[in-house]
Parts: sequence; structure tokens; C-alpha cells
Amino acid sequence: MRSPYNEQEVIVLDNVSKRYFLHPQRMGELKTALLHLPTFLRASRARQEFWALRDVSLSIRRGESVGIIGPNGAGKSTLLRIVSRLAPLTKGKLTVRGRVSPLLELGAGFHQQISGRENALLNAVLLGLSRKEAKEKLADIADFSELGGFFDQPMRTYSSGMYVRLGFAVAVHVRPEILLVDEVLAVGDTEFQRKCFDHIEKLRQDKVTIVLVTHDLDSVKRFCDRAVLLNHGVIAAEGKPREVVDEYLSRHFEFSASPTSRGDS
Amino acid sequence: MATWTDSHRALSGRLNLAQLTRTLDLLLLMTAREVKLRYQGTVLGFLWTLAKPLLLALVFSFALSYVLRIKAPGDAPFVLFLLSALFPWTWFQSSIQFSAGSFSNNAPLLKKVYFPRFVLPLSAVTSQLFHFVLSIPILVLLLVIWGYYPGLEWLVGFPLLVAIQLLILAGAVLLVASFNVFLRDLEHLVEVLMTLWLYLTPIIYPLSAVKGKVGHLIYLNPMASLIQAWRDLFLDNRIPGTEIWPALVFAALALLAGTIAFKSLEGQFEIAL
Repeated sequence: MRSPYNEQEVIVLDNVSKRYFLHPQRMGELKTALLHLPTFLRASRARQEFWALRDVSLSIRRGESVGIIGPNGAGKSTLLRIVSRLAPLTKGKLTVRGRVSPLLELGAGFHQQISGRENALLNAVLLGLSRKEAKEKLADIADFSELGGFFDQPMRTYSSGMYVRLGFAVAVHVRPEILLVDEVLAVGDTEFQRKCFDHIEKLRQDKVTIVLVTHDLDSVKRFCDRAVLLNHGVIAAEGKPREVVDEYLSRHFEFSASPTSRGDS
Repeated sequence: MATWTDSHRALSGRLNLAQLTRTLDLLLLMTAREVKLRYQGTVLGFLWTLAKPLLLALVFSFALSYVLRIKAPGDAPFVLFLLSALFPWTWFQSSIQFSAGSFSNNAPLLKKVYFPRFVLPLSAVTSQLFHFVLSIPILVLLLVIWGYYPGLEWLVGFPLLVAIQLLILAGAVLLVASFNVFLRDLEHLVEVLMTLWLYLTPIIYPLSAVKGKVGHLIYLNPMASLIQAWRDLFLDNRIPGTEIWPALVFAALALLAGTIAFKSLEGQFEIAL
């Protein structure tokens, strides 16, 4: 039997759709729900559908760097959340081969009261390493994050820059096979930002697959082999980064020039 | 439909073994963190774990034994009679109370990283188990003071009862923590119910004293036969026998209900959290 997909394809989306329901008013509390029972029942019927992604088909090969661009609300982050298993998809088929490391928000799950070292260890295991592997990486993580003596201090003593540095250090040291980056590189000082980009470049040479969601069009042109333009949950353009970025800019320009015509696709 | 595979680990039995090891690592680290954080910044620390059952035992002894002049069945002093049930009960009660919010209070983490999420409520159970085990020397000390010497039966009975209670708790906390994501009231309801549950469990009275048609309803309480088994072990060095079958049935039911609730609700966490 032939495999339906090429082995080199590590992320395959096949007509993937994601639906959310918009509730006019959320009734999270039992009391509120009971006191306003008629409203509550009407509200659950009046819920509105919202398709964050519609029939998106995309396949990404091993070692490829793909930039996802598009206006706010186009579905970029939803796409990353689906691939990283955080959001179940509504329709379609998704195949992911390889360990996914999400760089969605750095340092998620860090606890203020315990040290950077302990947090780094737990975080690395959360991101997919075994405890033994994580322990071996701790020295590199401490080194990369440039925290010095702070590494063994409780994280409540950290500045926000230190927080992010540790988060990034952990995320890139878990030997990801697929790295998902969502608009997180706009943090830290210029020096550290360059270090991050250098490291991502190194991962790229190591054949790590990278999906980058960003509004920074220059970094897409610089880093990505391919770009995908999302608009209203559908793929509006796909191809060489320079061409797709130009396409996005011209569309965007059209939008702002004549806001009444919302003609997409 | 979606599938995720770890490509660098072959699709064989090794895959599951690697995942199991990692899940256990995660449980271990989360438990350690929970233990560490629970009493951080307090002066008495771990003593608070002991204070709860000890103070309860003191108050119950005063009210029941000193004021009402009720005698414990058998020849054990009333305090020992109470403590032999209150220690395992405290493990049960704290686990459920502390785990109720383990999904809802960890929203930032759950929204950013995917990992075996059931580890979160389970770590509340295992960290409380750790405290329970640490409190056993105190119980042994008190038993010895009154001339009750632990026997070799403990080596069989203790792990057995821990295992059964662990299974009941695993199911219960998955159930409570999953529903609490959608209905935060549950956290508060659980707190009230746990207090009432204490009185419906043979803690301040022996299971044998419960008689009559209405009394038989006590067997609907998953903790009834289990707590009695703990007491028989601690006071009489008796290895639990066939009389704990209700606890086993409840363990199976709890695990089933907890797993079903977690599996069917997990997909909606992203919207509710």
C-alpha cells in the first residue's frame, strides 16, 4: 500500500476548517445561568458561527521555513494552535510528523516562586523532553539565557527581559523538529534578538522545520523559503516570500485606499 | 481527524514506552513542585498537614468522648480510633479540594503548550499522598505510646489500601477538575460537600455500628468500606479481605467516569479557559 503522503512532508493540512461559536453573552456561572434562564436559553440558540479557518490545504516539507502573514484576525494564530494540538479542528485532516515545540508565548507555565533552574527543567519536560534529557540541557539553557546567578533565584526576582530570555532558551533547546514561532521575536534587546535569529538560522540549517507567524514582513523575506498569505481564514496567496509579501502589501494598500470594497480572493 | 507522531521514535512499542516515561517524569516534577509550593512562605510548613487531622481528632474527642461520654468500640482510646481514619481521610479530602481548580487555575499553561493534561489534577493527589506518607510516623508514634504495635501485615495492607484509594482519587479528581472548567461553582460546592461527606463516612463511628435499612445506604459511599479497612489495618493489624469489594467497584467506576469526562471535555478547554 502506498503512503498517501510523501514522507518528507511533516505538516499536512487537508481541507482543514475551524469553527468557533460567538455567544452574545457568556454564562459561566450557575447563578447567572439560573437567574436569567430565559435569556440563557435564547442565548445558546442565538449563538453565531465564526469560521476562523476555511478549507485550508497546506503541506510543509522537512527543513522548510514557512512564513504565515496576513491582517489581524486572518486565522494565522488559529493555524498554529491547531498544528500544536491546542485547538481541535472542526473539519478536515491534519497530519503532523515530529516533535512540535511551540514558541507561542515564551515562559508559559513558569512559576514565580521557584527558581529559573527548576522552571527550566519542568518547562523542558512540558515541551517534550524526558527528565534525563532535560537535565543534560540545563547547562546550555543557563548559558544561552545569560542569567548568571539569577538562574538559581526565584523567578519573581526576574525582569521581564530575563523572563523571556529563559523562555526562549528553553524552547530552542528542546531539540524541536518543528518549531512554531508566533510573533515572539519582538522582545528583548536588539542584541538578544539577533542571538535568537542566529539560533533559529542554525536550527534551520539542522533541518528543523519552522513555521513563523509575524507582522514583520522583512523577517519573512529574510528567513523563509515560502510564504503563505491568509485572509479571512482562507489561503489568499502562496509562494515565494517576496511575491507574497508584495501581494499582501498591494492588497493592504487597496484596502486602505477604498475601505468600502472588501473584495478578497 | 488529526494525527501526531514523534518521527524520530519508531512507530513501535518503544513509542508508547517513551511517552509513558515522559508522562511519569512530568508527574514526578509536578508533584515535587506542588509539595514545594504548598507550604512555601509558611512558618510551620509541613506541620499544617498534621494539624488538620490532629485538631479534628482533638475536637471530636472532646465533644464525643469527654462531653457525650461515647466509648470507642473495642479497647482503643478514642483519639486513636479517630486518627486511624482521619489521616487517610485528610489525604482524600485535600486531594479533591486542591485538584478541583487544577485545570481552571492553569489556563495560561494549558492554552500555550500541549502535554498530557491529566497530570495536573493527578499531581495534587500524589503530592497529598506524599504528605500522607510523611504523617504515618506520627500515627505510629501515637499507636506505640498506647501500646499498639504495627505488625508485618502493614507491608501488605498499606500499599494495597494506598493503591485502591489512589485509583478512586484519580477518577474523582479528573471528573471534578474537568467539569470545574465549565462550572466554577463546583470548586465551592466540593468544599461544602467534603465537610458533609466526613460525617457520612465511618470516621467518628465504626462501620459495624451502622444498622437498619437506611443504614445500609452507607455502602453507597465509596469511602465507607475503605476507611473501615484503614482503621482495621492501623488498629488491629488486619490485612483487608473480601469486605473491601465495594471500594474496588467504586475505584473502577470512578476511573471510568473520570476518563470519559476528561476525554469528552478536553477538546472544549480552549474555548472555556
